[in-house]
Amino acid sequence: MSVCCGPGYSSPSEAIKAPSEKLLYTIAIYTGTGIQKPDYLATVDVDPSSATFSKVIHRLEMPGIGDELHHMGWNACSSCHDDSSMARKYLLLPGVRSNNIHIVDTATDPRAPRIHKVVKGSDIKAKTNLSGPHTVHCLGSEIIISMLGDAKGEAPGGYLNLNKDFEIMGRWENSMGNIKFGYDFWYQPRHNVMVSSEWAAPNTFMPGFDLEEVGHLKYGREIHFWDFEKKEPIETMYLGEDGLLPLEVKFHHNPDSTHGFCGAALSSNVIHWWKDETGKWQWEKIIDVANEPHPEWPIPVPGVMSAILVSMDDKYLYLNNWLHGDMRQYDISDPHKPVLTGQVWMGGLLGKAPEINGIKMAGGPQMFQLSLDGKRLYVTTSLFSTWDNQFYPEIRDQGGVMVMIDCDPENGGMKLNSDFIVDFGKEPNGPSRCHEARYPGGDCTSDIWL
Amino acid sequence: MKYQVTISNRDNTTYRVDNRRPLLDNLREQGVDLPYGCKYGGCITCAAKLTAGNVDQRRQVALNNRQINDGYVILCVARAKSDITLEVGVESHGSLFRNPFIDPLQPHELKADIATVKDI
Repeated sequence: MSVCCGPGYSSPSEAIKAPSEKLLYTIAIYTGTGIQKPDYLATVDVDPSSATFSKVIHRLEMPGIGDELHHMGWNACSSCHDDSSMARKYLLLPGVRSNNIHIVDTATDPRAPRIHKVVKGSDIKAKTNLSGPHTVHCLGSEIIISMLGDAKGEAPGGYLNLNKDFEIMGRWENSMGNIKFGYDFWYQPRHNVMVSSEWAAPNTFMPGFDLEEVGHLKYGREIHFWDFEKKEPIETMYLGEDGLLPLEVKFHHNPDSTHGFCGAALSSNVIHWWKDETGKWQWEKIIDVANEPHPEWPIPVPGVMSAILVSMDDKYLYLNNWLHGDMRQYDISDPHKPVLTGQVWMGGLLGKAPEINGIKMAGGPQMFQLSLDGKRLYVTTSLFSTWDNQFYPEIRDQGGVMVMIDCDPENGGMKLNSDFIVDFGKEPNGPSRCHEARYPGGDCTSDIWL
Repeated sequence: MKYQVTISNRDNTTYRVDNRRPLLDNLREQGVDLPYGCKYGGCITCAAKLTAGNVDQRRQVALNNRQINDGYVILCVARAKSDITLEVGVESHGSLFRNPFIDPLQPHELKADIATVKDI
């Protein structure tokens, strides 16, 4: 039972019982598309009983162009559940390229969010020597954002600390140790641990992907375990060829669990970590998506597993293969032995599903958000403007797409929902590209329990 | 020193620019609507194609040597060193983006900090 009146839920099992989402927010970009308009936050109606179901019902433009909105995060989550002075009211929208962090009020009118404040990129650089904001997490009233570069775009960057009024408090970490790159992070406070992963320096990944730079060690292949209270890294796992571009990291939602997962994008592997009975952190590769032959490619196509997600009940892990074009669901009841229980094809380079619900797909499954009850998975198709332009140049004219996959949390299985599709190719200002999504009531990629 | 910039894919419109300041600022102040992102030479969003003349773009860190050889310049840090002609916007990005698996770079085509000198 919920005991207090702060944001979020008292436990993951309470979160699962929350009412179904009716609205969804996704960012949509014009950066890199040739359309001289700001990126924006789109409100999508996901209430099946609504007349505007499956449509964009509001667009909040950022103040300027060229931000490249990407990931988002809440000002507060279930980690503040006992604090009645906090509310899940603001969504933080960092611009990877501009360094601006837009604070959006989603509570005053959830259907029509409004800009509350902009933390200027130039101020962040001046005060913290950081740039390239990516993942946003809150813990209590603190907000921490992984910043992938220093002010000049060189790795490893660090962590920006904002207070609850979105003032720059400085750097969060006391040390970056020997960490070479930053990207995603997640923490599990009961075990005093944070895990962080590695993409590359902003100056390396922002202009696009040169494969040769992987061999020149310009991209990451390690994950890092931190002493969360001391705010410093204490152990590094070298993943090698099994862990090229280790991007998203997720712990189990169960705050007592030490199990977590990382999707290594280029290796297209899922890495599982846990603390063994002697108190030592261990890792293993549990999923290996094989590269696939392609008539026009000199080498087989890697999946490019750019995102993973764990359902709120910790039973399923979802992953994408952006270049292959499939979304997968694995039963991870035994995290050492995942079982493939569902697969949906949408777009991709292998030509398995070029059209979805009457819309020709550009791109492949990329970012996704699962409903708290684990039944609806919303999937978008754009990765990052420059990388889209390299692998799926037709996305410039066709724009991105959001689809919904119906998931069976009891028996496993995934099926494309034929009533839902949002075509960002038909936006009023021209084709845009949608990426990460969030629900007003919290989601499967934000909430952490103390 | 002032130089003339001709934008060939905007009806050959011409502008006078100050060689001490980046082309992006110079041109936007005169009403040219150009894409940009990081404003420090690292993100490629403002790339344009130089088809005549010379620029100083020592501060850019986004381009690999193939892109430089193809004439791309990073407007947010590049300064004119002569009268120049540019193609701007994504219409100029024809060879800027390539599938890195189908069309790999040679060692001398990498970014400057890791490129090797081409064997002759």
